[in-house]
Amino acid sequence: MIRRLLVFGATATALAFLVLPVVAIFARVPPGRLFAQLGNGAVVDAIRVSAETSAAAQALVLVLGTPAAVVLARRFPGRGLLVGLVELPLVLPPAVAGIGLFAAFGRFGLLHTSIPFTRLAVVLAVAFVSGPLYVRAAIAAFEGVDPNVVAASRTLGAGPTRTFFRVVLPLARPGLAAGAALALARGLGEFGATIMFAGSLRGVTETLPLAVYSEFNVDFDTALAISALLVALSAALLLALKWRPSLSTSRFRFAASS
Amino acid sequence: MILTILAAASLTNVFPAIDRRERYSFGGSNALAAQIRQGAPADVFASANTALPQQLYRARLVEKPVVFTHNALTLIVPKSNPAHIRSVADLRRKGVKLVVAAPGVPVGDYTRTVLRRLHRTGVLRNVVSEENDVRDVLAKVALGEADAGFVYRTDARTVRGKVRTLSLPRRAQPRVAYAVAVVRGGHAAAARRWMQRLLGKAAQAKLRAAGFLPRR
Amino acid sequence: MATLALDFALPLRGFELTLALDVERTVALVGPSGAGKSSALRVVAGLARPRRGSVRFDGEDWTPLPPERRRVGLVFQDYALFPHLDVLANVAYGGRERARELLERLRIAHLARAKPGELSGGERQRVALARALARDPAVLLLDEPLAALDAHTKSEVRHELSELLGELRLPTLLVTHDYEDAAALADQVGVLVDGRLRQLAPPAELVARPRDGFVASFTGANLLHGHASPTIGLTQVTLEGGACVYSTDAADGAVGVVVYPWEVSLAREQSADSALNVVHGEVGSVVEVGNRVRVRVGPLTAEVTAASAERLGLARGGRVYATFKATGTRLVPL
Repeated sequence: MIRRLLVFGATATALAFLVLPVVAIFARVPPGRLFAQLGNGAVVDAIRVSAETSAAAQALVLVLGTPAAVVLARRFPGRGLLVGLVELPLVLPPAVAGIGLFAAFGRFGLLHTSIPFTRLAVVLAVAFVSGPLYVRAAIAAFEGVDPNVVAASRTLGAGPTRTFFRVVLPLARPGLAAGAALALARGLGEFGATIMFAGSLRGVTETLPLAVYSEFNVDFDTALAISALLVALSAALLLALKWRPSLSTSRFRFAASS
Repeated sequence: MILTILAAASLTNVFPAIDRRERYSFGGSNALAAQIRQGAPADVFASANTALPQQLYRARLVEKPVVFTHNALTLIVPKSNPAHIRSVADLRRKGVKLVVAAPGVPVGDYTRTVLRRLHRTGVLRNVVSEENDVRDVLAKVALGEADAGFVYRTDARTVRGKVRTLSLPRRAQPRVAYAVAVVRGGHAAAARRWMQRLLGKAAQAKLRAAGFLPRR
Repeated sequence: MATLALDFALPLRGFELTLALDVERTVALVGPSGAGKSSALRVVAGLARPRRGSVRFDGEDWTPLPPERRRVGLVFQDYALFPHLDVLANVAYGGRERARELLERLRIAHLARAKPGELSGGERQRVALARALARDPAVLLLDEPLAALDAHTKSEVRHELSELLGELRLPTLLVTHDYEDAAALADQVGVLVDGRLRQLAPPAELVARPRDGFVASFTGANLLHGHASPTIGLTQVTLEGGACVYSTDAADGAVGVVVYPWEVSLAREQSADSALNVVHGEVGSVVEVGNRVRVRVGPLTAEVTAASAERLGLARGGRVYATFKATGTRLVPL
């Protein structure tokens, strides 16, 4: 009895701890004010910057990450090491990511570029931290495709390319979509690497999280309103992930395992 | 008794030199003021201007502020000076990467005052990043990633080998006064004693040695 | 009809699969699991690359060709249907023209819009077959075509499959771990053990003249170990337990005595008929298989009709006499 009470208490506390700050944001921002803030010039600029850089970073991650995941889903010597390297940014502190980006793409970095403080710098910072999330999910998605089904496609006359687009990609799609949504959510919230590597300039490099930070120093209510917007966006992404209409493949797995 | 002292980022080196014992949190003065408004537990607030402590005083969050030192602004460029900046006028050139502090951050406001007085507000077109405190401006210029930035004289001295200092005309200098105040709800008596020490001879000598200007 | 000619070696875990074989009609490879049976199919389909040797069809060298350029129809053991496509799309994947016709022919036209996840095992097998045939293959490959089916569906599907293979007249290579399935579907059966073909012969021949003890026991025979010594006209074999049996086959030294279950008769009492070999023992198990009953007596399995079993009142633990003729035995090297 006591043990059950303790477990219940711990669960309730954990839930409350995680939920309370999120609820508090909305408790302190009446919906009317939230919409009013969306008309605030700084907020509008930040939404635009976030939307554009997130879209660009997402495109970069999908276009480069998908083929990388296809290769990394195969078995070959040194694969573990490569996957580890790809996943490393996931566990790096954002500040280290920022320094690393300078060291690589800075004016005095390895590649001597003039990327820092530009829109492209935001895109790179976001892609650097969100890419590994997508690639990781994509590797798992491709590994989950039954090799016999792929082999079946080949024996039925489809070459590797046709097999990839007609069989592998459709079967991996739920996993790829989940990874993409997670990466997008993580990218939208990117702060540390961005503020270091891209700086913060309204309308150019100031994304929503950066706007929260700078508004916190000026007007707490505006910071709250932008935070509420970010919570809503993230929640929408998460819900889209969880309540995706179940696809034929998930039904198949259920039937096959029964 | 260890005090919690929220202090302007430009005081990062000098405060621990004056008193190593206390617990410091350095940042943009406006960010620190925001923290106090949100109820941050603190005993002393040392700001790079007088306006922020005055606002908190009017809101009855701190006791009456006192000016304890002064400072001056300067233009810095990386040692290698990649954009060949020799004066504020050169900042107008296309492609120059200028880094300044955001408006609301004391040094950001001072920077805009300087540019107004020199009739050079146009150079703000070349700003590539608005930083949250003076040390972020300093870091980006010292790293060589930005071509120029406006910081306090005292900051420039902390990274001597990495940046060059271009002094500003006297008429352009704003009055940079630092005010300190005891935060209400903290350890008020000890905080008041610490404030007195900051105004005392030894501490003032340390401030001057770091390049700060006398209280007047 | 064109011939599929195999002659290759493929390294597998622990051993090497070597196979030299011509497939003209239907060949079944049987053997215990892990014998390399499925790997043989993968080599023919181009899904595995042999270390040496070749796969030729009708004189054409398929060895360097990728799977999509070989005209094989491979039916996977787990069918490997495309779970995201409906039945019609699965079948049409290999060839659009014949898809509808094949659905009709395999009696799955009513399932055209169903997804594989909604089908029974037997239905999935038909879809897999239709899909492989839609490709218009020159060679048909079947991997354990009946293994995933329950006993009831199995005999029905076996019969249909046998008829279908007869109509198709394609060189067909199928693998199975079940000798009865192999015998029912193929006109040549190869016994594959540890990557090597022990014997390749028509099913009747395998039963009549098994080359060794393994082949014999795999085809369902009783295998008794013993030591042979020639006597006048007969060979006397002293079994490991000490009992003696007689065979008309000639042999000397260590041998396996092969007796098929249907050669063994059961009786309550010892009779004085022509059977020379008698084992008196306890009934170990009684299992009905269709209209026959398999009875375990000591080291032997006997197969009798259900009527006989009832007449004898066979039950576990009872004692019976199992007898078989010397002419009903084969002596094989071990």
